[in-house]
Amino acid sequence: MSWHITLFNITWRELYDNLNSLRFALTTVLLLALMVTNAVRHIREHPQRIQKYHDAVTESQGRLASHADDSLYMLAQRGPGYLYKKPSALYFCAAGGESLLPDRVEGGSPFGYAEDLTGVWKLKYPDANINLKRVGPDVTKVDWAFILCYVLSLIAILFTFDALSSERESGTLRLMLANAIPRHTVLIGKFLGAFISVGIPFTLAALVNLLIISTSSAVHLTPEAWGRLGVIFLIAFLYTCLFLALGLLVSARVQRSAVSLVILLLVWVTFVVFTPSTLASIASEFSPSLSSEALWKRHSHIQDELWNKYGRWLWSDELDEKTLTAKRDFFTQDAEGEERLRREYLTQQIAQVQHARAITRASPVTIAQHLLESFAGTGFERHVQFVENVQRYARQFREFVVDTDRADAQSLHIIGVREGMSKKKVAPEAIPKFEDTLNFNKDFNTRAMELLLLTLFVVVLLSGAYLAFVRVEV
Amino acid sequence: MFKTLIGRELLNNLMTFRFAAAVFIMLLLVVANTVVLIEDYDRRLAGYNTAVKTHQRQLHAKKTYSGGTSKLVVARPPNPLSIFNVGFDKRLGNEVSVSHTLVPSLWDARMHGSDNPFMDMFASIDIVFIFEVILSLLALIFAYDTLAGEYEQGTLRLVLTHSVRRGHILLAKYISAMLCLLVPLLMSLLLAMILLTTSSVISLNADDFLRIGGVIWASVAYLSVFYLIGMLISGMARRTSTALMLSMFVWGFLVLVYPNMILAVSPQPKAPQTRTASAFNQIEQMWEEFDRERKHFLATDAFPGEEWDFGIKGWGGLYAYSWDNPSKLLYTYESAMEFRDLGEQYATEIPHTQNYFRFLGPRVINTAERTWLIRKPALEDIFIHPANVERIWLKLSPAGLYDAATQAWVGTDVLGIRDFFHAARQHRQRVINYFHDKKVFGSQQWFTTDEGAADWGSLPQFSFQRLDVNTNAKRALPDVCILLMINIVLFVIIFLIFIKSEV
Repeated sequence: MSWHITLFNITWRELYDNLNSLRFALTTVLLLALMVTNAVRHIREHPQRIQKYHDAVTESQGRLASHADDSLYMLAQRGPGYLYKKPSALYFCAAGGESLLPDRVEGGSPFGYAEDLTGVWKLKYPDANINLKRVGPDVTKVDWAFILCYVLSLIAILFTFDALSSERESGTLRLMLANAIPRHTVLIGKFLGAFISVGIPFTLAALVNLLIISTSSAVHLTPEAWGRLGVIFLIAFLYTCLFLALGLLVSARVQRSAVSLVILLLVWVTFVVFTPSTLASIASEFSPSLSSEALWKRHSHIQDELWNKYGRWLWSDELDEKTLTAKRDFFTQDAEGEERLRREYLTQQIAQVQHARAITRASPVTIAQHLLESFAGTGFERHVQFVENVQRYARQFREFVVDTDRADAQSLHIIGVREGMSKKKVAPEAIPKFEDTLNFNKDFNTRAMELLLLTLFVVVLLSGAYLAFVRVEV
Repeated sequence: MFKTLIGRELLNNLMTFRFAAAVFIMLLLVVANTVVLIEDYDRRLAGYNTAVKTHQRQLHAKKTYSGGTSKLVVARPPNPLSIFNVGFDKRLGNEVSVSHTLVPSLWDARMHGSDNPFMDMFASIDIVFIFEVILSLLALIFAYDTLAGEYEQGTLRLVLTHSVRRGHILLAKYISAMLCLLVPLLMSLLLAMILLTTSSVISLNADDFLRIGGVIWASVAYLSVFYLIGMLISGMARRTSTALMLSMFVWGFLVLVYPNMILAVSPQPKAPQTRTASAFNQIEQMWEEFDRERKHFLATDAFPGEEWDFGIKGWGGLYAYSWDNPSKLLYTYESAMEFRDLGEQYATEIPHTQNYFRFLGPRVINTAERTWLIRKPALEDIFIHPANVERIWLKLSPAGLYDAATQAWVGTDVLGIRDFFHAARQHRQRVINYFHDKKVFGSQQWFTTDEGAADWGSLPQFSFQRLDVNTNAKRALPDVCILLMINIVLFVIIFLIFIKSEV
């Protein structure tokens, strides 16, 4: 008998056993229920989310147009206004703690030093708008990431904990090996059998989920989103493989299925439920501490210096170039100084979070979660990308103001002071639009690294299972 | 005979791998997390202390009473027992203004933040959560073969030939397994308590130990529920492998899936739009009436003109505005003046301004209190009621009941947080009484420093004391009782099944 026929037979037998089992039925029901919940919730909530985003953007752009209609100076003073993060269509795959992340960056709020003395805009990064009104219980979002990381991994363990140990208990393993079937064939057969039996209910449930979502008129999935869904599917299978391999490893080493399950469940609980948050908390202990107070001290220091340097020009009503330039320098340097401090602070915050996230990668669950978030276009990395988009746009906006001003020959080209700037109105269409795009080529390295790490986990566990199984006495 | 049975069962359980694993994993997780949680509490306490200091500094920087009222802010200290169950302690607002212009409620609170709010993305794990997940799992792992194993091996038949009563067998199994399961629970709690008491940041009083006792009680009840569920499955399935599989799925459903899924499925309580609108309308009308009176006063007083600032200009500032937020039924009118030494120049205006503010202060307080009578029940209907419905849905799983019961014991449930706002309202009343006693509304210190700056030193101090343990017990008891009742019902069912089953 050639090896692939044997492999096929073992896989088939395994599959047949599994499909007839109680766990298969329960898995199918459970996964279907979860996926349908997820889909229904998504088609109920996503349109509202999109609507909210569009309303906010329209309002912000209306304000921008009214400033443009006033004069170029208004644009230079008020800035681009609130810039919003575009909600991802694949929100249902991974919510990624979006409710704990801010949904906008504020480009505005010029400082009013006194009446008739207003500075220029700067970028501000507000904190997440956490709903302090909500007194209801707090629960996790049932997204794909939850279904995958928590439920599917548990199911994978329940399908493999007795794969080898029960055969050994009942003596059938000895029988099989007596038929000169190589051990690795048995192992691969077991693996494939379990993989397919877990894969069937998951694929079924996921397809039902996608069917509901894609037939609903409220949500529109682009071809690109479908491509990303494909990748998410692959990650899901890779992640399932990891827990199947873990199950086989323990099952091969341990004599009794009951003991095997106890070990696996405890490993699962530690890795899946506790490691991510505990590690993050520990990591945050060791990361450099920040202080918003120090930030504000530096800010007032900068302001004091500027006051000393330019103070005497500020109250003057003279319109000569020297006064205007001094005013311009004061306004722009103050705004720039504050913006730079805020950016530095944000960078420190982001570095701290990324440090914590790097440490939590010790758990495969976190890796899978990060991968799902980044392919769904949600979560922290996405937020960092949004902030970068905004910063790029802010530069573009400032350049636009300078360029438009330069085109006007009557202007003194002193940006930020009304008397020094072009008096002409600006056509709203000419202002660069903020486009919050999702760039997948960026940060490709992080993602590739995470994918490789996940694959590495699978390979190590599988070879561990193989080594354990080869050496064990039947 | 009963003793022999218990002895045998105890030995059976204690000598297993699962017992060792249970003790090990519980100790590891509880100790690791307690250390982290104490650090976290330390950070929040530091944040609270900074906030209190900042409020004091800002208040003392104000030289007039009217300028200072907006800076009268009280802060909620973090609950040291939030280490056991964090509940709403970190989620709801932890500082609120106690200005005389508004009766404060939970919905007017702000949050004095951390230095890195992004870190909130990492879920925090408290001790009750560890118990909720692990204890239930352990209980099922201990229970799945307790009856099914004996059926399979035939030992049950052997035991029953000794004319042992079946009830005794069940009871012996239950008692011995619970004793075994209590070992990891109590050991890990003991270690956590040692860490808590030796830590310098946390100081616990006698009441706190009683509260922790309540948490232990609830934990035992919760543990027992899951053990009995496991026993029931074991008795019904009769085969260990089936029992195990069923137990695991039941566990996954009750602990992981149900609490997360139910709120997505349960009918969403509709936000009572009309209730909000009508209540806000009433509140708005009261403030409009107040404004009419105010304008009427200005029009009829001895001073010509209807301007509330009486044309005073000087070194300092002034503001007056009303602001509202219909979604949380907020409406208030704030006005303040803060002038440095107006001097002789305004000798005629100052008495008029004094008169105006003497009239205005009590009116604002009165209107704020009258609107509170409408706002309070409306907020209850709009926010609290739907949240309570959600909570009831969650309580259909023992995990939800356990969570609610322990939250109530440690005082991090919504009621416990609302106690703080109740205390804040009482403090506001004390501040108002103090203002009345010192007659500050009609004084010059209300708006100018001509007769000296406002004296904030003798203002009543605020410190929030959690209510005594009886209150916690009263709030926790319904849920604990339901847990106990589930225990009894489950035991009776198992007994009935076991009595009638053929061996």
